Amino acid sequence: MRGLSGRQKVAWVVITVVVLVYALFPVASIAATSLKPASELNSGLFLPQNPTLGNYEQILVGNAQELFLSALRNSIGISLIATAIAVVLATLAAYAIARLDFPGKRLILTTALGVSIFPVISIVIPLFNLWRSIGLYDTWAGLIIPYLSLTLPISIWTLSAFFRQIPWELEQAAQVDGATSWQAFRKAIVPLAAPGVFTTALIAFFIAWNDFVYGISLTSTETARPVPAALAFFTGASQFEEPTGSISAAAVVVTVPVVVLVVLFQRQIVAGLTQGAVKG
Amino acid sequence: MRRRRRAVAAAAALATTGVLAACGGESGTPVLTWYTNPDAGGQARIAAECTDEAAGEYRIEVATLPRDASSQREQLARRLAASDSSIDLMSLDPPFIPEFANAGFLAPVPEEVAGRVSEGVVEAALAGATWEDELVAVPFWANTQLLWYRVSVAEAAGLDMTQPVTWDQLIEVAAAEDVVLGVQGTKAESLTVWINALVASAGGEIVTDPEAEADAVELGLDSDAGREAARIMGEIGDQGLGGPGLPTADENASLSVFQGDRGSFMVNWPFVYTATLGAVEAGTLDAELVDDIGWAMYPQVREGEQARPPYGGINIGVGAFSEHVDLAFAAAECITTPERQAEYFVSDGNPPSSTEAYDDPAVQEEFPMADLIRESLENGAPRPQTPYYNEVSAGLQETWHPPADVSPDSTPQRATDLITAVLRGEQLL
Amino acid sequence: MSATVPAAPGGSTARAGAARTADSAVTGRPPRGRPRASDRARAEARLGWYLAGPAFVVMLAVTAYPILQAVYESLFRFRLTAPDERSFAGFGNYAVILTDGVFWRALWVTLLITVVTVVIELVLGFALALVMHKAITSLRGILRTAILVPYGIITVVSAFAWFYAFDITSGFVNQWFDWVPGISSDLNWFAQQGTSLFVIIASEVWKTTPFISLLLLAGLAQVPGELDEAAAVDGATWWQRLRRVTIPNMKAAIMVAVLFRALDAFRIFDNVFIMTNGANGTEVLSLLAYRQSISRLEIGLGSALSVLLFLCVIGISVAAVKFFKVDLAGARGER
Repeated sequence: MRGLSGRQKVAWVVITVVVLVYALFPVASIAATSLKPASELNSGLFLPQNPTLGNYEQILVGNAQELFLSALRNSIGISLIATAIAVVLATLAAYAIARLDFPGKRLILTTALGVSIFPVISIVIPLFNLWRSIGLYDTWAGLIIPYLSLTLPISIWTLSAFFRQIPWELEQAAQVDGATSWQAFRKAIVPLAAPGVFTTALIAFFIAWNDFVYGISLTSTETARPVPAALAFFTGASQFEEPTGSISAAAVVVTVPVVVLVVLFQRQIVAGLTQGAVKG
Repeated sequence: MRRRRRAVAAAAALATTGVLAACGGESGTPVLTWYTNPDAGGQARIAAECTDEAAGEYRIEVATLPRDASSQREQLARRLAASDSSIDLMSLDPPFIPEFANAGFLAPVPEEVAGRVSEGVVEAALAGATWEDELVAVPFWANTQLLWYRVSVAEAAGLDMTQPVTWDQLIEVAAAEDVVLGVQGTKAESLTVWINALVASAGGEIVTDPEAEADAVELGLDSDAGREAARIMGEIGDQGLGGPGLPTADENASLSVFQGDRGSFMVNWPFVYTATLGAVEAGTLDAELVDDIGWAMYPQVREGEQARPPYGGINIGVGAFSEHVDLAFAAAECITTPERQAEYFVSDGNPPSSTEAYDDPAVQEEFPMADLIRESLENGAPRPQTPYYNEVSAGLQETWHPPADVSPDSTPQRATDLITAVLRGEQLL
Repeated sequence: MSATVPAAPGGSTARAGAARTADSAVTGRPPRGRPRASDRARAEARLGWYLAGPAFVVMLAVTAYPILQAVYESLFRFRLTAPDERSFAGFGNYAVILTDGVFWRALWVTLLITVVTVVIELVLGFALALVMHKAITSLRGILRTAILVPYGIITVVSAFAWFYAFDITSGFVNQWFDWVPGISSDLNWFAQQGTSLFVIIASEVWKTTPFISLLLLAGLAQVPGELDEAAAVDGATWWQRLRRVTIPNMKAAIMVAVLFRALDAFRIFDNVFIMTNGANGTEVLSLLAYRQSISRLEIGLGSALSVLLFLCVIGISVAAVKFFKVDLAGARGER
């Protein structure tokens, strides 16, 4: 904080605290709820008086284990596959868009834009009908395919922005130095492109991970139901009791990886979402 | 077999076993999938017991459905509409049984099975498993609401709880003693449960011809009974007697209110008893509270006229597209024996549909109100047994919520108009 | 539903354009429009489509096909639990929807949520963007991390967090804020339209402001620093510089951010579904469509609603591009 007056320092500290409270308070709130024993759920207090890990036990090793862990497995698997497919397809497309001149380039970008603003609910209803008749209902593939409508457009946009800033002349230079074109591509371009691809994958993963509408509409059992949909399936000690504790604990468990990724890669994510360039 | 064992690598072998298990082929034991509503684990236990009992004839696997009844229906209907053969057994909430039966989603119950499973079953449960005069599901457990009360409040108000009480008496007491009535006013299935019990107790019917086609369904809401029901609900809502939480109160929220300082009377399912005992055991509730809790028959709408308490519960349906219909019915019979129903009552707090099960000593010891529950079930009024129950229920929730806005002059009429229009396909819900 | 929209940083034209010029110069690729080496151009076009084709086809397959299917289904009266009674209804389903107050109320609520969230988020997002832009290096990381948390969190989780905080039985908000007039332990936030919408909007704003602020941050980065400095030298106040220099220079970014966020807010579903499920006049269009087709299994009506929702989105986009001259491609340096 060199070069700042004392007043400015104080101002920055205050601003930082305000932003932290704003951004983290709801997370803290549900984390606090997740530590409350059943008797304190209605206490009207923010913090648990006798914090317990009971709710976590319930979902990780207890009654709700099967429900939650299978959902977790589905969410991770489906999101990863949808992300991978999107990134591979988008890498090819973005390469073409950034490097080649061909008619239809704008059409592809416009389509990506159009798909990304598409109301999900408009797609889900016909898909539901179609999936039922061709047997994709309640399968991983049945979610991966519609997830592409979420992950692919943003991947194309982000990657083409990244790729546009790669100094492709390096490839030429490497070729002049006697490398084959594949070597040139691998040695000169891949290292430059990799961070962009990685960032894109992160962003795409967040979006797939967040899905709810497809998850509740196109699944019906533990074979494919992702976490956001599964939260509605938790149950209290009996049919009529509220599963507030289990839901909160599950919510925290699925938020942890998000926070870890954000902490590790905040620079890349911000860059990916703003510039398409990995710069300060 | 030998060739397969030799040829296939580990991963593929794994996949093959999966396939075999799924279609119950060479490995011998057919697998029956039982879609259950969430409970405290009792149905999973019963599934294991019946698997053992079947001695290799079949194996039951449990898949869990969502928590609320309408989502359970959604999940099952979606799969069944796709002719899903993986649904062998289903735990069905009775109001949705006509819709499933009408759509051909339920395998017909063989006559001799029907004869066996309807013996000694409480009236409401039998009605709830019947469509067009045929038994279409196997009665399992049957739920009903009782009137739970705080002895201290009743005494202070001078109410004789050995005699039937009326809703008007409760309203009077709540207003005079500044206490909160535990009723379920949230915009969900529990609201329909309340409306139906009020209308039925007033001698009316929400749907007068449940077996009619969609565009011919006639409602009985715009009647004295419907208006009386609306008056009671409107007064409770309007005077704030259900507390500020009423518009979002489900069974669980009502119970919290009932256990609190202003708790007084509550209509609710028997789970409240086990839940309260559990909370006392966990040390989160005062033990004295248990002694202050009493139970009685559901309140009357008209003095001297027997109340028609809500009926709920679960009946077991067999999927029409199942590949093992016979085995599934055998399993359903195993699941629903009176002994298992009694055990299930004790373990999960869900009352039996078999009258015999109530005489079980363990039941009598665990649930001092067991006989009252049986009696309540004998008087229980099922919700409209129509294939369009979902529309009827959603239409009621749309027009009778929040309870404070319910008025005898307009609400029954509005509900009738809306539901009729929706069933004719002239309006959205 | 979180923002699924890619960032479209305003006016990155300069940099991207420069990069491309350099690129063309080195590779010797002809600038577009000059008629030369048509074989090569054709080969390049073919390669371009080989590479971009699969992505293009997949995008079309997962959206165009379902929407066409929806258009077709919307012409029938069809209920999934009565498959034999399917009958042709022409535009009957549309007539039912458009003459029903329920639809217009849902449209109005959806628009209200959209406008209010976008306005709040624009102000809040701009403030956050300024904070991130000006932050001293030592704080930049922590600020950005914090701001990204709501962006990354699952919408359903955020909805539960807000719901439990405000809920009359489990919440603490009533206790914390009972000094505010109108708030007491008896306030049931989810029992009236106004208060329900307040919580829904608050959670939506919390969750999606980071996205808009990142778009604006990109815009801020494009404002030439010299201009700001020059104005400062001329004695302009901070506020004057913001209004006269910064904002006009990032107009494109603001427009794009607003459009994307508006379209995203228009699809709001998750928080409403979790918090009120449409009770107390909080029904939004997506929920209405969901209820008809997924809950009621009225495929015809549900499909017609899907088509109408889709048309609304198109309408908003066209209006934005036409009347507000939001230049999507230009904002992206795509020309």
